[in-house]
Amino acid sequence: MTNNRRIVDHPVLGKLSDRKEITFTYDGQTYTGYEGDTIASALLANGVRTLRVHEESGKPRGIYCNIGHCFECRVTVNNETGVRACLTEIKDQMVVESGRVLPSPLASTEHDTLPRTYAEFVKQQEEEKGEV
Amino acid sequence: MDHITICRCEEVTLEDIKNTAKKYQCSAREIKLRTRAGMGYCGGRTCRPAVDAVMEQVTGEKPGHDIPLKVQPPVRPVSLATLRGMQDDK
Repeated sequence: MTNNRRIVDHPVLGKLSDRKEITFTYDGQTYTGYEGDTIASALLANGVRTLRVHEESGKPRGIYCNIGHCFECRVTVNNETGVRACLTEIKDQMVVESGRVLPSPLASTEHDTLPRTYAEFVKQQEEEKGEV
Repeated sequence: MDHITICRCEEVTLEDIKNTAKKYQCSAREIKLRTRAGMGYCGGRTCRPAVDAVMEQVTGEKPGHDIPLKVQPPVRPVSLATLRGMQDDK
């Protein structure tokens, strides 16, 4: 494991070589982190910045607030959904999965033309009758 | 500038909020209902101050706690298992 994204010798936190290595999987791929790493920090050190995609648009999401406030980094850990990667420490053999695009049954291309109120609906109906 | 995402949970841009505010001349609460800004997974705890600030700029509405965008319990999203005492609150 290369440590070019980590501080290998910290004046307060000590040497990285003193810490225990832990392996975990993210989307089926095995990664190595250190004891005390959060899921987000371990993945960031491995060069993984996208932790999930937006459920509808599929745009990538990763660490945003990093203090457990925004839930942008939520992942599935050992089949438990909605776990914040920035707050959860990695455990040995942890199975982490990213969030994916969900089917969107409400996607509509004609939402601009649909009536918003009953009055608009009645008006539309009358207009259609008038045309026929 | 207008392409800045204000609400990341629901992907609402500054442009969306500005356009809606101009078109309907509405309150922060109505912006929330029309654009879904602040109605996402995080419960609006991330973008609410930003939405309030944008509204102050666009319509001059001052952020308050009476009706617009008030904070509702639970303050943090918690699982039902946590509420049942099945696990420690993280």
